[in-house]
Amino acid sequence: MHILLIEDDELVACGIVAGLRLHGLTVDWVGTAAAAQAALDSFHFDVCVLDLGLPDEDGMALLRRWRTRGQSLPVLVLTARDAVEYRVEGLQAGADDYLLKPFDLDELLARLHALHRRAAGRSVNQVNHGPLSFVASTGEVVLDGARIDLSRRELALLRALLQHPQHVLSAERLRDSLYGFEQEVESNAINVHIHHLRRKLGPNIVETVRGQGYRLGEAGW
Amino acid sequence: MKRSSTPKNAAPYKADKAPGARSSTGRPWSLRVRLLAIIGLSLVTLWSLVAVWMLIDVRRELRTALDDRLAASARMVAGLVMQLPRESMAAGKPVESALDVVARDGLACEVSLLRGEVTMQPVARTTSSPGLSDVQPGYSTRSFGGKLWRTYVLQEGGIRVATADRIDVRESLLRDIALTAGIPFAAALAGSLLLLWFGIGSGLRPIERVRAALALRGPSDIAPLPDTQAPPELRPLVDTIEHLVGRMQDAMARERQFTDDAAHELRTPLTGIKTHLQVMRLAARSADGAPVAQQALADAERGVLRLQNTLDQLLLLARLEGLLQPASPGLSFADVAAKLAIDDAQAGQHAKGRVRLFLPSRTIGLAVPESLLVCALRNLLDNAMRYSTGPSEVVLRVEMHENHTVAFCVCDEGPGLSEVDCALATQRFWRRGASSQGSGLGLSIVGEIARRYAGSLQLRPRNPVGLEACLTFPANSDQQTSADVSQASE
Repeated sequence: MHILLIEDDELVACGIVAGLRLHGLTVDWVGTAAAAQAALDSFHFDVCVLDLGLPDEDGMALLRRWRTRGQSLPVLVLTARDAVEYRVEGLQAGADDYLLKPFDLDELLARLHALHRRAAGRSVNQVNHGPLSFVASTGEVVLDGARIDLSRRELALLRALLQHPQHVLSAERLRDSLYGFEQEVESNAINVHIHHLRRKLGPNIVETVRGQGYRLGEAGW
Repeated sequence: MKRSSTPKNAAPYKADKAPGARSSTGRPWSLRVRLLAIIGLSLVTLWSLVAVWMLIDVRRELRTALDDRLAASARMVAGLVMQLPRESMAAGKPVESALDVVARDGLACEVSLLRGEVTMQPVARTTSSPGLSDVQPGYSTRSFGGKLWRTYVLQEGGIRVATADRIDVRESLLRDIALTAGIPFAAALAGSLLLLWFGIGSGLRPIERVRAALALRGPSDIAPLPDTQAPPELRPLVDTIEHLVGRMQDAMARERQFTDDAAHELRTPLTGIKTHLQVMRLAARSADGAPVAQQALADAERGVLRLQNTLDQLLLLARLEGLLQPASPGLSFADVAAKLAIDDAQAGQHAKGRVRLFLPSRTIGLAVPESLLVCALRNLLDNAMRYSTGPSEVVLRVEMHENHTVAFCVCDEGPGLSEVDCALATQRFWRRGASSQGSGLGLSIVGEIARRYAGSLQLRPRNPVGLEACLTFPANSDQQTSADVSQASE
């Protein structure tokens, strides 16, 4: 899950980034509305965490603009302003969820997973794909009743594929999901993780669509 | 247990009610009662004076009229007696055989014949006569047998006629007249007071209408009252109330904004601390989490420092605003305060000796408490050092101005502020751009300290770069005069 964190406070932002990364999520942080717009234009994100008090633009205005342009990225609004009017205004502006500072990291994580899940049209936390079952919130992977240990990147790759089971995902998009803004990624890095995933979950788990990208295949041997 | 607790609970409730009852009795009288008292008392006093005046007049007229009647009857009797043959009277009858005539009660008459200078012979008298033989001629008031009489004695042609009537009969006549005239008078007065009561009530009805209209308004209703509801006399009052309500609403909006901002400023570092602590716990569980945990610990500490700083500043600001007046004028010296502030400002910074101080040649006293002056200067120095990075110098210049003011100017070579930003910068929680350093309260505090002690704070962009912040206070007048004296004596 590739998360865009828009937060002007450096202290809070680096805490969220560290916490979510420890949970195996790919997080990219920007501090201004302008940078957020630029990031959204050039990368793919699954969920956005938006702080309302941005230095260059009101977060609410940014969100409203996105929604009028048809941007459907799930947005979780993060704010220290607790008056009910603010919440109502935030939700009316197009926020999908609302979390008040100071929050619990686990709660943030659970809500992000819920948003991600809802965006894929699922209502339960666990994804079953043939003999494979995957618990999104904990990252637990079970194949034919046996627990499989996956690395952080492999987990992110599997998560991206399971989120869009029918779609062909380009290599670039997978790269976004795994690495975010990190620039120095070797060109075959994705292939290495796909190779590992095939070794652990069966040779057909990732199908290669020539010239387009990759698609979720059947799990197991 | 429960039963005993009920009266205990009831007691404070009663105590709560008691001041209310006292205030209702101690409240000034209602407008209606006041008006009635003022107009009613004036009416009663005025008409009572008129009544007394009239009574005195009537009494005098009555007395004159009755006196005239007394004299007239004496003259009439004398005239009648004159026509009688003298011989029949002067037959030498003894006094005891004098003629007794029955007359109306309270009225008496005596007729005597004068013999020589001193002796006289009574001829006839009324039965009720008290004995008027020794009364002087003319009008007089005499007491006979404990009763006051008004007498008139006429001596003419050897005949002496004395007439008298009783004063108490006269008085009762006067009382009757007063009563006859006074009862309708009193009734009219009572009636006019009653009319006054209702008249005042209906006259005051617009006030009640305005009150009801004001009471109906919600707390956020700022629409003015319709003109028709308030008579012209009440319009200024209504306008004043509306103005006051408007100002209070503004103040409430500002307070709400402040609370929101304060919540944001306090919650943000708290969020940072909490998040980093949770990251630490997460990292402790993973095998290679040690460096992440170390970083999280350092960040959490940073957050605690920031929170502490914000809290300190907020409390200081609250305390400053809570002071109604400078509690104690205090005394500080410009050079001492400047040195202390520089020491404080550099204590936490790595760059020692970044601040250069320029002092005037002589010591200047200020009527500002030293702790607050140091605090204000330290805030200015902190800002200057925070926003001008690197080895660039910060200058604190203390100057004595012509108009007996002391200026503390802090100059830096940082990015500075635009003219517009300079005007905004003293607002609470204002921060320059995306900087998350500082609480956004420093300049508010400096501004507040300046305001408290008749000083001022001015921010100016410097040419070509940097910002100059000048804090000006009036110099201590005692100090000033002594300096003037010493200069004059030189």
